[in-house]
Amino acid sequence: MPLIEFADFSFKYLGADSLALRKVDLNIEEGEYVVLTGPSGCGKTTLCRAINGLVPQFHRGYIAGNVIVDGKNTREHNVAELAPIAGLVFQQPENQLVTLNVEREIAFGPENLGVERKEIRRRVEELIDMLDLEHLREKHPHEMSGGEQQRVAMAATLALKPKVLVADEPTSNLDPQSAVTILDLIADLNRRDMTVVLVEHRLDLVSKDASRVVLMDKGSIVADGEPREVLSMDLCQEIGVGIPKATQIYKRLKQRGFNLDKVPLTGAELATLVQEVKQR
Amino acid sequence: MSFLEVFQYTRQDSVIHKLDPRAKLFMSIVLAVVALMFLAIIPLLIIFCCLVPIIGAAKSLRRWSRSMRGLSILLIFIIIFNTLLSTQPNPFSHSLALTLRLVALMTSFSVFFLTVHPDELSQALIQMRVRFEFAFAMSMAMRYVPTLGQEAYAIMDAQKARGVELDKGNLLKRIRNIVPIIVPLIIVSIRRALSIAESMESRGFGANATRTYMNVLKFRKRDWAVVTVSLLVLVFVVYVRIFVPLPTWMLWQLPI
Ligand SMILES: Nc1ncnc2c1ncn2[C@@H]1O[C@H](COP(=O)(O)OP(=O)(O)OP(=O)(O)O)[C@@H](O)[C@H]1O
Ligand SMILES: [Mg+2]
Repeated sequence: MPLIEFADFSFKYLGADSLALRKVDLNIEEGEYVVLTGPSGCGKTTLCRAINGLVPQFHRGYIAGNVIVDGKNTREHNVAELAPIAGLVFQQPENQLVTLNVEREIAFGPENLGVERKEIRRRVEELIDMLDLEHLREKHPHEMSGGEQQRVAMAATLALKPKVLVADEPTSNLDPQSAVTILDLIADLNRRDMTVVLVEHRLDLVSKDASRVVLMDKGSIVADGEPREVLSMDLCQEIGVGIPKATQIYKRLKQRGFNLDKVPLTGAELATLVQEVKQR
Repeated sequence: MSFLEVFQYTRQDSVIHKLDPRAKLFMSIVLAVVALMFLAIIPLLIIFCCLVPIIGAAKSLRRWSRSMRGLSILLIFIIIFNTLLSTQPNPFSHSLALTLRLVALMTSFSVFFLTVHPDELSQALIQMRVRFEFAFAMSMAMRYVPTLGQEAYAIMDAQKARGVELDKGNLLKRIRNIVPIIVPLIIVSIRRALSIAESMESRGFGANATRTYMNVLKFRKRDWAVVTVSLLVLVFVVYVRIFVPLPTWMLWQLPI
């Protein structure tokens, strides 16, 4: 059974005049690293919200089909019940930090769920250690940079011990350096068996780690598969998705009749492929 | 507004900071009540002699004296007006005592607010049976005040860039100028509140009745000691006030 199952799911926000999600069918298995991308307003955030029940429990609207997460139908379970299954990290870091220091922030989720005190303390220390937050321990969110805030927000979500981490453009408000730190962290979590759903525009940073890319447009899924397969489709340019530079070069070369063996995702891969061709 | 600093938490490593907030609250209330029971210069000075060492033990004397200096102009005004308008036989002496009492009251409560972290305060409220939601709302207000301030400045800059003249014109015009600041600020805040609520729900806020707390406040021996001493002082002072007439040297007044 897949961890997340969208079955012919459609959703329209109350007061909106078009569907935000249109007959979405999507299965995500445990351990996958799914990158979700598509033009602005195509429904990526709505899809993330549907995974932990914010849609339809928090955001009301018209709904068809079902979303089943770890065997639970999101129509029948409230967001708090789904919190230990799907952990969401959002775009604006400062709106996710609701307490006055890092320890409290990380403890907030488990406290809400009624986890035992000793266990909360253990998780807090573990996450502070893992995400390198020691120097921020006593700080007010206002005294931290955006990147630091987002790391704390991530720790606060991971403290719920979710089965899947859903991150909705966690790096869009950050400088490139902090963005890379956050994305590396996510890739690392996936290597430790965490299922990840990541919304991201900077595909050149994430496609090498992803196991799957899902492309959305106007509320529907228009492509879904291996990163190399999806990113080399012409569809990407048509709907305006920024594919990695190396993949772009691959496509240009192909247009001029110059075929490489494999679709490259990074500069390093491209270099190796070109070298191979030259040696032949 | 520098005198408000005495009501603002400052991180220090002191005996007073380590006390349980509930014990400190009790101590502050007792100190304030005692100050309210006297309106003569000598007893109020004696109360001061107890308050200053407590502030000292909280390592906050400098902050306290700076705030008091900030407050001094206001205090002098109070003394002058009271002296001129009072019908008491020794108006100056009376207003001096009034002012001393005001300062003593402020100092008593500042012992509490200077040394209790907002988190501790909300935890103390929760353990005094205040509902978690209310206590948490209070600490969230503290959390978002700086953010809101920042946003207000950003909006002001944006409006200035569009040609709104915020600091020109007469009083009425200036008051009307607040509208283009307040309206966007409210809209932005509502939007932010929704996004915060979303994030809190996602972390199980309001999940079940049995919420746990990582840091639980515990009454220790020293907290019991503080409470006991405060209680004894309170009983003693009330007893003296009701049954024992104050000796005349304590009721001494300035001749004017
Ligand atoms: N709370 C809401 N109420 C009404 N309509 C909404 C709400 N949130 C989103 N929408 C609408 O739903 C559609 C999908 O929005 P969504 O936020 O899911 O897109 P997105 O892919 O995340 O876009 P972006 O890349 O800009 O974040 C949009 O047309 C948007 O206007
Ligand atoms: Mg979005």
